[in-house]
Amino acid sequence: TIGLQVSSGLQDLSLRDRGGRRRDFHDLGVNTRQAMVHVQESKTGFSGKIIKLTTNHFRLTSRPQWALYQYHVCYSPEMEARRLRSALLFQHEETIGKTHAFDGSILFLPKKLENKVTELFSRTRNGEDVKITVTLTNELPPTSPTCLQFYNIIFRRLLKMLNLQQIGRNYYNPSDPVSIPNHRLMVWLGFTSSILQYEENIMLCADVSHKVLRGETVLDTMHSLHSQVGEERFRDACAKELIGLIVLTKYNNRTYRIDDIDWDNNPKSTFRKSDGSEMSFVEYYKKQYNIEISDWMQPVLISQMKRKRGNIQGSVALIPELCSLTGLTDKMRNDFNMMKDLAIHTRLPPEQRQRELGRLLNYIQKDDNVQKELRNWGLSFDNKSVSFTGRIVQGEKIFQSGAMFDYNPQFADWTKETRGVPLIRSMPMDSWLLIYTRRNYDVANTLLQSLFKVTPSMGIHMNRPSMIEVDDRTEAYLRVLQQRVTSDINIVVCILSSSRKDKYDAIKKYLCTDFPIPSQCVLARTLSKPQTIMTVATKIALQMNCKMGGELWSVEIPLKQVMIVGIDCYHDTVSGKQSIAGFVASLNQSVTRWFSRCVVQSRGQELVDGIKTCLQAALRHWSKWNKSLPSRIFVYRDGVGDGQLNTLVNYEVPQFLDCLKSIGTDYSPRLTVIVVKKRVGARFFAEIGGGLRNPPPGTVVDTVVTRPEWYDFFVVSQTVKNGCVAPTHYNVIYDTSQLKPDHVQRLTYKLCHMYYNWSGIIRVPAPCQYAHKLAFLVGQSIHREPSIMLSDRLYYL
Amino acid sequence: MDKNFKEEFRQIIKFEPPLYKQRHQFVKDLVEKYKPKKVADLGCADCSLLWMLKFCSCIEVLAGLDICANVMREKMHTLSPLPVDYLQPSERSLTVTLHHGSVAHKDPCMLGFDLVTCIELIEHLEESELKKFPEVVFGFMAPSIVVISTPNSEFNCLLPRVTLYRHPDHKFEWSQAEFQSWALETARCYNYSVEFTGVGHPPTGMEKVGFCTQIGVFFRKYPQTGESLQSEKPMEAVYKTVFKAVYPSLKDEKYLQNAVISEVIFTAQIIKHRLMSKYEEYSDNPERKSKFQLSMDCFSDYLGKLVVEKNMEPFVSGNEVYIPLRTIFSFPKVNRLCGTFEKLCKLIAGKVTLSSDGSAVMFNIEHENEEN
Repeated sequence: TIGLQVSSGLQDLSLRDRGGRRRDFHDLGVNTRQAMVHVQESKTGFSGKIIKLTTNHFRLTSRPQWALYQYHVCYSPEMEARRLRSALLFQHEETIGKTHAFDGSILFLPKKLENKVTELFSRTRNGEDVKITVTLTNELPPTSPTCLQFYNIIFRRLLKMLNLQQIGRNYYNPSDPVSIPNHRLMVWLGFTSSILQYEENIMLCADVSHKVLRGETVLDTMHSLHSQVGEERFRDACAKELIGLIVLTKYNNRTYRIDDIDWDNNPKSTFRKSDGSEMSFVEYYKKQYNIEISDWMQPVLISQMKRKRGNIQGSVALIPELCSLTGLTDKMRNDFNMMKDLAIHTRLPPEQRQRELGRLLNYIQKDDNVQKELRNWGLSFDNKSVSFTGRIVQGEKIFQSGAMFDYNPQFADWTKETRGVPLIRSMPMDSWLLIYTRRNYDVANTLLQSLFKVTPSMGIHMNRPSMIEVDDRTEAYLRVLQQRVTSDINIVVCILSSSRKDKYDAIKKYLCTDFPIPSQCVLARTLSKPQTIMTVATKIALQMNCKMGGELWSVEIPLKQVMIVGIDCYHDTVSGKQSIAGFVASLNQSVTRWFSRCVVQSRGQELVDGIKTCLQAALRHWSKWNKSLPSRIFVYRDGVGDGQLNTLVNYEVPQFLDCLKSIGTDYSPRLTVIVVKKRVGARFFAEIGGGLRNPPPGTVVDTVVTRPEWYDFFVVSQTVKNGCVAPTHYNVIYDTSQLKPDHVQRLTYKLCHMYYNWSGIIRVPAPCQYAHKLAFLVGQSIHREPSIMLSDRLYYL
Repeated sequence: MDKNFKEEFRQIIKFEPPLYKQRHQFVKDLVEKYKPKKVADLGCADCSLLWMLKFCSCIEVLAGLDICANVMREKMHTLSPLPVDYLQPSERSLTVTLHHGSVAHKDPCMLGFDLVTCIELIEHLEESELKKFPEVVFGFMAPSIVVISTPNSEFNCLLPRVTLYRHPDHKFEWSQAEFQSWALETARCYNYSVEFTGVGHPPTGMEKVGFCTQIGVFFRKYPQTGESLQSEKPMEAVYKTVFKAVYPSLKDEKYLQNAVISEVIFTAQIIKHRLMSKYEEYSDNPERKSKFQLSMDCFSDYLGKLVVEKNMEPFVSGNEVYIPLRTIFSFPKVNRLCGTFEKLCKLIAGKVTLSSDGSAVMFNIEHENEEN
């Protein structure tokens, strides 16, 4: 069974942060390491070269014998309102002291009251006498989970004291914004922070965060959409552009997610207030905030309340004119120029990033009020980040058809080294289609000529394709596919003249489900530059080869009879209805062939059932390929949100085990489940030549900033041109492999070399990236499970 | 009054909206009517009245004073500017300050206010403080209007739970006659006129007890004597500032400049975008490619510009697009922000890429095409 234990004190913890959410973002209570005997003593690896690192973690110190005293507060007669409860309690500041944290029922104090039970008497404004009973319930040591949560709340208080603005979970400094007028964007510099128990110390992990805000209201955006798309497509365009975005309002300090647009209502419509009376939005905003709504024809935005009060799940109506947009839309993310302009401000190189962080710590040290608050609680922070050592593990050798290559570790890329070398397995293109529009006739020919130049050295045999000219309409493409695609076709190549999604979606849908054949879509624009055409053609040839079932290169995998699984999820944010889990599993010893399945499910459904079926199918295929069942299985699980670890450990892992059991009573392979997390707050900096640099690929960190209750480690596997490299966090939540941590780390790093769409090292193990690609394709374009006929190929690249 | 009679009123005396809201609404109505620029709330407690007043667009200076710093601190962050206030700075300027101190002491930071409110304040004052209060508020601060509200003790018999006073901290509660005589005497002494009113109507048949909360509104009878009087008595600050928030405003050059630059570039982008899509249509015709001009008419209604003058047309030359500043200035939003063309030029100087003679915003388009 899985060793899950929620540390005592957490279940009944109800000290609430603003917003009253009780989600445990840091997976505090999940202790998985204690069930893995072989890593009790040590979970560190040993191979590689030592590297001096520093990070963005700062030690939190408390005075000796520090403890936090937790009291339960109750009122007689019972008082409902939280504010009243606080007001009544704090009439007794001489007894409880000036320093306190109170959420309405639980009171935290830095000192112990004289008696275990203290009775206090207050009187309300109505002259009602109230007896308040304050009872000591807990004396918490600095490392208790409750204390950790408490530190986080106190730290947020400090940020507020520094006049930083809370937006979502983080705090930002509004007084010194960077404005990017070309795109009407504003960037606020801020900080993410979390205080956790790390390997040896409680530390603050702080990082620079940027908030992109937009200098326009939702109504402005609607107006410009209207002028762009016209009346007919206006509502659709609004829904597409706006739903899912986070807005700020003019009148309060809250953020809302736009979940729907209500076109049947407008500011003149009435709503029911909590006291039961009806009022129009116009009246309400005038009365409550003195705000005049100028446009009375605008629709109303609907935001679902995530938090459930009682059992009622309410929604909030918002007026577009009073809402400002935050963040980027998908459309904006695809805008190369915009992202480039943004990157200048948001991608900070290591030195600058640490400098900005230093500024925050400086504010904290300098601000009197903040220092006073910290002193009163008996806490303080180091103002220098922790330093420690990591290891740079050896680079991998790349094997391709008998040849062996080393890559330059600085670039983590072997495009040049493997150019002109035959592939491990090349698929012939005897019969294939090339579809293009009249305008792109030249481009199509250029592509063809270039492919003829690059494919022979790869060992790909290619015949002339059937060249088909179509009108630039979705239906035209589809008609050609229906007429010309037959089962002896190896691959279909479509040249598209714009990145409009509908055409791409229709092609992919047809060729993934209706008539399963590998397909390759190419944007005409990418082929239009003569200086890059050979590079582009090479990439396309490699990609097509993989889609048809080819293999490119391999690295040495010392483990035998091993199946590697990758899982990632895609959540459809626009319609919010579907989630897709991509599942891939290796099929051969060299881990160059992959089986894939995916699970499409509606909201609220658990993932695990579908994954069980996938694993069964994967094992069937593995045994078909290898004439036996794998004796080791490694699952790399990506797409796990903050606070979901518990679910994974409690439900998903048992399902894997169940599934393995169901194969046969005598079958008990060694199973390792590793949770992969790309979005982590930790950053590492190499101290090189007196300055700070990004650590080189292959840097492994498994001390100091890891968590004592987990078998976890960080790997920096990729390189970045600008900004700071983000390490990937690996958390081994289940492991019967008996492998040394060093070997698990090495295997993980090896797998980061195996993603065929990139001749270099990537940020996650290849199976995760494949699973991501698959889930993304299905979630974005196909919306149902692709044909099983394609399942042994990388058609989703 | 006998017990049964009281019981009967227990049900009836429930104010809707609650009394504190009625008091706040009363102040708000007064602000709407007299449009004071500087308002101070004495005994501001949890700042709820100040929070309500910050939305009143006539007010440029808001100050709060309380004897208890902690009660102010509890909610003072609600008085901070919101993210949106930074994103769309308002036309008016607004500064909100909270002071910790006593109404029995004079501090120069309280000078020059138009309206001073003392809502449910005086009944919390010790006798010695109450004695000094008129001199501080009416003599020293001397605003044009003072609002004072206090419980009417005659009403207490209708409030079932009230035994002596409505709140344990009350030092006294006055009858209508007591309050009015104090107010009239104070007004006479400091040359103010006073009007009495209140909120919280008594139930029918009980009209003679008067409002639950009695209010006196004092108007200064003499005109502001100006700075001269105040500067004669330089004095030390005795209040401690616990909070200060300066709202972003277009009156502040920094925010105005940002807003203007943003609007200018955005407007220029729209014009360029329109121009380029037209330009691409024409670009098959090589004769017209070198120098291309577009009549403004085709997009003037969409952009809602004010005037079309000669030599205001944007044009493409080589790899550059030029959008004349005059054209940009004619757009209502830019126009309203800057006021004059000279101001526009001054604000964007050095911040926006202009043509060599400085008359037009210049974009390089070659660069852009490369990226796509």
